[in-house]
Order: sequence, then C-alpha cells, then structure tokens
Amino acid sequence: MYRNDPSPIVSIIIPAMNERRTITQVIREASKVHPKSEIIVVANGSVDGTESLAEKLGARVIYGAEPLGHDVGRSVGTESAKGNVLLFIDGDMIIPAVHLRPFVRSVLSGVDVALNKYDGPIHRTQIHRVVLSKHILNLVLSRADLKGASLTAIPHALSRKAVETVGAEHLSIPPLAHAMAVRQGLTVEAVYAVEVGRMNPSRVKIKGEDPLEQIVVGDHLEAIYWITERYGERGGFEDLGRIRSMVR
Amino acid sequence: MSRSKTVKRRKNISVSHAKQIVLPALTKSVSAVVSVSNEEKTIAGVLGELERLPLQDIIIVMNGCTDDSFQMARKQSRAAIVHYPERIGHDVGRAIGSRMTNSDIVLFIDGDIVISAAHLIPFIEAANQGVDIALNDISPFVPPFSRQDDVTRLKYFLNRVLGRDDLQYNSLTAVPHALSRRAIHTIGVNHLLVPPKAHALAILKGLTVRAVHTVDVISNNRVRTENTGPESDVARLIIGDHIEAIKAAMDHSGTRLHLSRYSRAELAKWRNSL
Repeated sequence: MYRNDPSPIVSIIIPAMNERRTITQVIREASKVHPKSEIIVVANGSVDGTESLAEKLGARVIYGAEPLGHDVGRSVGTESAKGNVLLFIDGDMIIPAVHLRPFVRSVLSGVDVALNKYDGPIHRTQIHRVVLSKHILNLVLSRADLKGASLTAIPHALSRKAVETVGAEHLSIPPLAHAMAVRQGLTVEAVYAVEVGRMNPSRVKIKGEDPLEQIVVGDHLEAIYWITERYGERGGFEDLGRIRSMVR
Repeated sequence: MSRSKTVKRRKNISVSHAKQIVLPALTKSVSAVVSVSNEEKTIAGVLGELERLPLQDIIIVMNGCTDDSFQMARKQSRAAIVHYPERIGHDVGRAIGSRMTNSDIVLFIDGDIVISAAHLIPFIEAANQGVDIALNDISPFVPPFSRQDDVTRLKYFLNRVLGRDDLQYNSLTAVPHALSRRAIHTIGVNHLLVPPKAHALAILKGLTVRAVHTVDVISNNRVRTENTGPESDVARLIIGDHIEAIKAAMDHSGTRLHLSRYSRAELAKWRNSL
C-alpha cells in the first residue's frame, strides 16, 4: 500500500467524482511519480464509494458531498498540499507515471508552471472554441510560443512560488490563473506532451450547447477581463502612431 | 512576387468588362472613402474604377504621402482630397473620411489595390437593401488553423465569442466594406478608429452585419515589411485592437458575454451522469 510522506516534496492532487472504476489505477500511477510524495484525492459529490476506496489505497481524502467540478477540486486540494511541487491530474484519466514525472522534474529544475504541450486538434479550419480560446489567451499574453498549452489542461505542475503568487483560490478558474502566472513574471513553459484529448470523456450537450465549452470559453473571457483591468483596455499593447485626437 | 504585373492584369480584366457592368438601381445615395498612403502606382486605377460607379462623393484621405499620390489623384479624378502630411493611420483616415460625406451609404477601400467596379457593386447593393455592414468574405482564402497568422485567429475568436460563428474570419478590419449611415451613427465615428471594436459594437447593438461578396485582397496585398512576421508592430496593434474590442463587448454585455452561465457544480453533475 502507498503511504503519504509526512514531509513531501511533491503533492499530487486528484479531483474525483464517482471515479471508482479508474481511481485505483490513477493512484497507483501517482504513487510512482516521486519517492517523497503525498496524494490528495478531492472526492466531491461521489456516491459510489470513491472516497473510501482512495483512503484504503493510502491517499489523503478531502470529502465533500456536493459536486465541485475539477477546477474547484484542484483549488481545494491545493489549500492543504504541503509539497514544494504540486502535480495536478484527474481521477477519471489514467496516465502512466512515466508521463507524469517530466512535469515534476521541470518544476524541480526551476519552472514555476509546467504545462502539457498538447495543442489539441489544430489541422483544420473550423477548430474547437476551447482550443481557439487557449491560443488566443496566449497571444494576448504575448506568449504565442505556448500555442495551445494552458492551465486548463492536465497534467500540469506548479511550484510553491506559483501557488503563492497566483493564489490557490484562483486555480478554480484555470485560464485566469494562467494569465496571472504569465503576467506576474512566473516561468511558464509547455514541457511535455500528453495527448489528453483522446482520453477525455465524450462531451455532453444541453439544449444543443456543450456546457463545458461555455464555461471554459467564459473563463478565458474572465482572464482577458483581468488583463484589461490590470494593464488597460488594450492589455498593454500600444496604438502604433494612431492619432485618435484627430477624430473626436 | 511581381506585384505590378498582378495589378496590370487586374486592370485589364476590369477594362475588358467595362461594358458589362450593370449599374444597380439604387434608392440610397452612396459615397466612397479611399485611404491612401504612398500609393502612386495604384491610385489612378483605384479611382478609375470608382468613377464608373454612381457615387455622390469620392473622398480620398491621404496620410504620410511622400510620393506622387497627391498629383496622381488630382489629375485623375473629381475626388475631394483630405491631405495629412504626417501618418495618422488607415483607420483614422477612414473615420475622418466618413465624416466628410452625408450619403446614406459609405464604401471604404484602400488606395493600394485596384478592385474593379463590378466587385464593388455587391457591397453597395447589399447596403442599399438594408445591410448595415456589408463585409468582404475573405474566409475562402483562410488556411487551416495551424497555418493561420495571429490576426486571422483573433478575428475568428472575436466573431465566435460574439455568437457570430457564421461571420467566420470576416471583419471590419478588411476592405472593401460598406457601412450604412445608421451604422456610422450607431457605432460612433470615434469607435470606427478601431475596426475590431466597431465590428463588435455593431453586432452587439443589433446592426445587420453580413459578409456579402468575396474580393481577393489577400494574395494581391502588398507585403509591407512592418506587417510580416509574428509580433510585428502591425500585429501588435491588431492584437491590442481586439483586446479593446473584447473589453468594449464586455462593458456592453458582461464579462462572459452571451455564454451560458452554467455553474461548475452543475457541469460536474452532468458530466458525471454520462
């Protein structure tokens, strides 16, 4: 059985809601990431015994009867994490440890925000709104080099400094946390590609809309709003000799 | 790329079609605003095409011209010329031009590409039939996302967050386009200075915005040194313009615009019930 280290270097945070089918393997892979680690499962809204299973496997469980969503789950887990490196994965996606260690290694060698390098499907004209939003946010942040990499996607890892700079509470709106991290001078890098698109559960539609898409795109708008509040209505981009006073 | 050849060919096309243009029966008055900055090679051709249209006024806004654009324009046309020795920007030029006429419809073009009258008529006709903003449909020329430049992606994003996926890559940033007088009043001339912002406000304020006709201004566009490459000055200007547009949209409709306000808890429940 896995045992959480009392003074861990790496904290692995796993939001889970009714993830009985996958949680055992997710925890098993997480336990192989680093010798001094703690695994925190944020079991929210589960009725299938996910929390007792996770506890039996040696993870620390934060339990809530109400569903929180992945993002709020990550934020809650972060608040009680002790490690200097925080690795974020999901309870419904089994990613082998070998594909998780690169994120931890990057943070241990000085990166503050180590992102998944996976860009999503971009070789078409009509791309998904979420993929588009991620690219646009990076462009607005003058980090077009990050392409579609974003805190919206797992796996990703944060340094303790990143958590303190951004604030655990802001992790519940990942694009906002992403914008804050970049604009507040943290080292943000896309470090390793894990193709999570294929592993994602199929999308649910409500009244013809994909509610996840609505939330994620809205989150990106919140991030852009934060940029305009802080850096002006042009986000810090100049007017290039446009003489506005000529038209009143 | 030999640009002069391209232009010559285009002029030939328009001349050979000269007798074939059918002038639309217009119920509204139309003027054209031409923004010019050192376009002595093309300005005569541009004005020649405009002369074939039933226009009330032709207004040329010149800025920062150090070549013979002015002389070329004067000897060629009856157009009214507004001349600024310093560079004030194409967008500022267009906004100023829109103030110099009271016609019901204003057609906006640039002095650097000769577009035949036949290809300008659809914009005028659409506006005459009630379209407030008649845009150039450049979407057919756009490559897959992975090969798109930053500006193209921004235009697409803006339309999609405004709930106008159908407009795709089309925007007031591209010429030619025609505006109704109502559009100019509703948007406000001071906002025409920032085309993506004018575009967003037009949509949010309920104006009829439509891509009406395709003119290939991309492959014939002059490659300016300052607007090539990632994060060029022009690219940075246009990024800033789009941020300003999104901010104006948020001030109008709230931070999340028209997007549904599902809660994360609701979403978690839905996804989990799959």
